[in-house]
Amino acid sequence: MFELGRLCVKIAGRDAGLKCVVVDIVDDSYVMIDGQTRRRKCNVKHLEPLDKVLKIKKGISHDDVLKELKKEGIEVKEKQKRSKKAKTAQAAKKEKPEPKETAKKETLKEKETPKSKTEKKTETKPKKKAVPKAKSTVKKSTKTKTKAKSTKK
Amino acid sequence: MPSGKHKSRSMRRVYVKKPGNTVSISYRKRKPSKAKCIKCGAVLKGVASERPYKMQSMAKTKKRPSRPYGGALCSKCMREEIKGKNV
Repeated sequence: MFELGRLCVKIAGRDAGLKCVVVDIVDDSYVMIDGQTRRRKCNVKHLEPLDKVLKIKKGISHDDVLKELKKEGIEVKEKQKRSKKAKTAQAAKKEKPEPKETAKKETLKEKETPKSKTEKKTETKPKKKAVPKAKSTVKKSTKTKTKAKSTKK
Repeated sequence: MPSGKHKSRSMRRVYVKKPGNTVSISYRKRKPSKAKCIKCGAVLKGVASERPYKMQSMAKTKKRPSRPYGGALCSKCMREEIKGKNV
């Protein structure tokens, strides 16, 4: 039933209802999956096999799995990066007066990353409302950060 | 003698022992009933049932399980739903 490349749906867990591909067989009862969920070991009882079997080699990487799924018409959204940005934006909003110094240190590390992330944010449609808020906080922080950067240099 | 409002069974009775070695009755309000599955009617697990003042102060993750149809369907019925949608 569960061969290499079998398309399945997850039945149980937080990520129930998401589609995945069998990437490796571990046991009679355990299987490695990848796809809309992250790469992990899964019990066979928590999967419902569909009709399709994709052609996949062993040791396939995460990006190749996403490409194969796109051919079938299943799109995968990247959620992890947005959650981190939302957390930093909320933290910056709530803790404005007190830990400006700590925020500067944190933002120094994340200064390089948000530039690339803002581009991705503009691409996404449903989270347009969240984007301006995050951008405004980032702009204010960058202004303060540039001053700190110049002094440190 | 208890006053008229205390004779109703919508308040529950708690026997309290006082420091003077006497027992008295105190009246407390009852909790609401537990949530049930929409399909099969089984009692749902992981769903809190408290009075409004407590529920409002609780975090969202503590009031329902964090999976699709959490708080509405039990785990068995949820699996059948997902199977039926895809097969």
